[in-house]
Amino acid sequence: MKKRFLLTTILSLFFLLVLSACSGEDTTSTEDKEAKDAEKTEENKDNEETSEPVEIEFWHAMSGPHEEALQSFVETFNSENESITVKAVNQGGYDDLEQKIMASAKAKTLPTMSQAVTGVIPEYINNDFVEPLNTYMEDEEIGLSEDERNDFMEIFRESSKWDDTYYSVPFSKSTRVMFYNKTILEENGFDVPETWQDVREISEAVTKDNVIGMGFENSFEAEFQAILKQLGGTYIDEEAKEAQFASEKGIEAMTFINDMIQEGIARTAGEDQYMSNPFGRGDVAMYIGSSAGIPHIAGAAEEGLEWGVTTNPTWEGEGATTFAGNDIVMFNQSEDAEKEAAWKFMKYLTSPEVTAEWAMKSGYLPVRSSALELEEYKTFLEENPAYAAASQQVDTGFFTARVTGGDAVRNIVLEELDKIVLGEKTVEDGLTSAQERSNEELKK
Amino acid sequence: MRKEALSKSTIYILLSFGAILMLLPFIWMISTSLKAPNEVMALPPVWIPSELHWENYTEATEIAPFGRYFVNSVIITILSTLGELITTILAAYAFSRINFYGRDVVFAILLGTMMVPSEVLMIPNFVTLSDLGWIDTYKALIIPWTASIFAIFLLRQFFLGIPKELSYAAKVDGCSEFKFLWYVMVPLAKPALITIALLKIIGSWNSFLWPLIMTNSTEMRTLPVGLTAFTTEAGIQYGLLMAASAMVILPMVIIFFLMQKYIVAGVTRAGLKG
Amino acid sequence: MDLNPTKKSTLKGYLYLLPALLILITFNIYPIIKSFVMSLYTDFDFFTGEVFAYGFGNFVEIFQDPNFRIAIVNTVIFVIGVVPLSIVLSLIISLFLNSKIKFRGAFRTIYFLPYVTSVVAISIVWSWIFHYDYGLLNYFLSWFGIDPIAWLRDPQYAMPALIIVSVWKGLGFNIMIMLAGLQTIDEQYYLAAKVDGASAWHRFKSVTLPLLSPTLFFVSIISIINGFKVFDEIFALFDGRPGPGNSALTVVYYIYQKFYEEWQFGLASAAAFVLFIIIFLFTIIQLVLGKKFVHYN
Repeated sequence: MKKRFLLTTILSLFFLLVLSACSGEDTTSTEDKEAKDAEKTEENKDNEETSEPVEIEFWHAMSGPHEEALQSFVETFNSENESITVKAVNQGGYDDLEQKIMASAKAKTLPTMSQAVTGVIPEYINNDFVEPLNTYMEDEEIGLSEDERNDFMEIFRESSKWDDTYYSVPFSKSTRVMFYNKTILEENGFDVPETWQDVREISEAVTKDNVIGMGFENSFEAEFQAILKQLGGTYIDEEAKEAQFASEKGIEAMTFINDMIQEGIARTAGEDQYMSNPFGRGDVAMYIGSSAGIPHIAGAAEEGLEWGVTTNPTWEGEGATTFAGNDIVMFNQSEDAEKEAAWKFMKYLTSPEVTAEWAMKSGYLPVRSSALELEEYKTFLEENPAYAAASQQVDTGFFTARVTGGDAVRNIVLEELDKIVLGEKTVEDGLTSAQERSNEELKK
Repeated sequence: MRKEALSKSTIYILLSFGAILMLLPFIWMISTSLKAPNEVMALPPVWIPSELHWENYTEATEIAPFGRYFVNSVIITILSTLGELITTILAAYAFSRINFYGRDVVFAILLGTMMVPSEVLMIPNFVTLSDLGWIDTYKALIIPWTASIFAIFLLRQFFLGIPKELSYAAKVDGCSEFKFLWYVMVPLAKPALITIALLKIIGSWNSFLWPLIMTNSTEMRTLPVGLTAFTTEAGIQYGLLMAASAMVILPMVIIFFLMQKYIVAGVTRAGLKG
Repeated sequence: MDLNPTKKSTLKGYLYLLPALLILITFNIYPIIKSFVMSLYTDFDFFTGEVFAYGFGNFVEIFQDPNFRIAIVNTVIFVIGVVPLSIVLSLIISLFLNSKIKFRGAFRTIYFLPYVTSVVAISIVWSWIFHYDYGLLNYFLSWFGIDPIAWLRDPQYAMPALIIVSVWKGLGFNIMIMLAGLQTIDEQYYLAAKVDGASAWHRFKSVTLPLLSPTLFFVSIISIINGFKVFDEIFALFDGRPGPGNSALTVVYYIYQKFYEEWQFGLASAAAFVLFIIIFLFTIIQLVLGKKFVHYN
């Protein structure tokens, strides 16, 4: 008996040790929550005037200058709202963020709110873990007025709405812009490129030993989509839920990009991850990337690099620019008080002043029309013309069709485009196989 | 005789060349981690930084909470090692000194499951852990790793090598069985236990796929997981990236230099008996 | 103590086993069964865990999936690329280390060093060495007039890059085992061979190799099994992607994609089951052939 007693004691001691060590740090454990709840009620008794303190987590995929800007908004919001503490948690890249959202949806440990790629939101809606926002939006006390609602730019408003239900608010919306190295263009006697034909001509002329003319991001399906649209083709038909990019127009668009890469006058970012890195070193003359890359370029550009930003090239004058980017969603696994706090933070982030400041610090677009009219923003654009290109092309902007499985389609397209560029498939084969695989995915 | 001498110098040259190849990544990592950005991208490569930029290390810890990752890795490594030692000692004792019904069957089943790769177990374990609500907690990173069939097997073999007469003597002394295990067997098996512990420490410190999948928040990341996240956070600032890599690698290198004898013994024993 | 089993000793035995068994049954044994059951989920709700249909559809689907075939082929290429190269190199090095030379301990330490380092961390270091424009490797190659190689961008070179890292990383373990194996060979065999006037090569062929064969065999099987499980290196080298154009997509990476990127537990479990069968076969080969053909002293 004695031995057994000793054995169990030691064992239970060990597990106690493990468990106690855990719960100290473990934010999701129930004991912890209960303790917090107890705390809350006690505080409530003491001071019935102030509302219960709420702490909410906000997941995002912002890094570098973007994260700094976001963090400053979080701090301001927290200090303005005593009872609410928003905790911003960086989850790595967008893919990591998506993975973590799915994993925690399964484990029922979702945060209260998160940044989310617009393309995956349909999936979240289908699996019923995002909260519709209409009731918050239309709430008399904490909602938005009719005018305020209409102040959201139409293109963003539409992208947050599924059958009249708002599931997200627009947040980090970017467009594609063209970055160019002033010195290289001037040395070779070229003006700022306006069309894809200019881009080709310049690239042919400036590609030399250490310099390559044009750069594409690793995920250059946005450029493929833009050219396709400029040529009058369709990428995915949202109504029919059908990919249609392996058309004649699609082949023409992709052949244009692929030829430049095969001839060595264009490159992809490859192991440099983002074109801002080689561009900052002066290794490429031009590249197309997200407008949100502007502060990154400022960081990566070595001293003395003269660079500028212009609108996305047109196809013989026909313009079209993909809008990409992310929204903020609220998850329904949280308590009501937490959801309300999350809505307040959403409202704050999308208020004209904040969205304008966000645009100035990040290169993303302001999501409110009235933000464009703010004096501060106007002066900023005059002083920093690099940031102006993005909002100049709002008219030609379009969104990739939002369909369930859209994210899987994007991965398929990226994979097949990769194969084309690597010379493993012809343009036609690659696009056809991408289209077939995509449609299989869309039928699911 | 002369021929032998010649071949000996060839051996030295070849071995040294190989050793340089082995060390090069480490040297290059340390060198890059102390460089200013413009020297990192210099061609031809600069081997010894003109100025030592130790701030790469502090800057890396500012961008990502490596201190926190470090603490997590330490906690997880220590607790799962302690846990494994306890379960292993008890189980190995049972398998080597107690005769009970089903002993050989249980032992054979356990040995049989050793060949199932942990990658196969990952998916059901993820489901189990999420049902338990353990995802993104220390529990998920520690408790499943507090028992190892391999360690039990290793220690059982060692225990079998300890003369049985000892236990009879202890019994005559009126020493309780558990005390006997703790005060006689365990000290005798110290070399084997140290080996088991060290292999566990290395494995636990360096494990990647499991913590990658079982954690969601920054606070719960271990060093290797934090490091891969850092490649996104730091972009391609190789100075910072190498500083961060060094922070992951160096603790194990230090342990290795201090405890080399045991680690080598462990690997060899594991190898030859396997 | 080691008497016949009784009720009392059985109770005691299982009590001692309890903590280990509790953990092992929950996290090792139950998942083996569960994994097989999950591979039969053809229709189920990821979030609620509700299963609507069972069947062998997942196995059919993965074998029709071109990516799974790519994963199998890549993994086999990887194993063929790593194992023989690693065995030959580590055999040569351990023979050198086993000859009576100075600084043996130091050499051994250096060769063994990669074994204790984090795969992820050192792969990130290697990705920097492989960098196209500023990497060390292309710089060395330029001394020999070789044009820069896009190690991590070109699908043709992604696998060689992965193989280089894996051989480099795994050498220490193999050397260590082989050294131990070499030390078990009785000095007298060599003396006898020397007296017979056998050349060094002949001695190696007729004494060392046959006597070392169990060790070589063991190391090969372990290397093959580990080769089939490669994942960490790829994740870190190619920045969370399975190489350019899936050129480094391996079986475990495929499982990871299906499981943690696409949340298709059924398909992932089916692929995991295939991996298990492959590894199981090699283990059986080791157990059966090992005892039959290999020369144990």
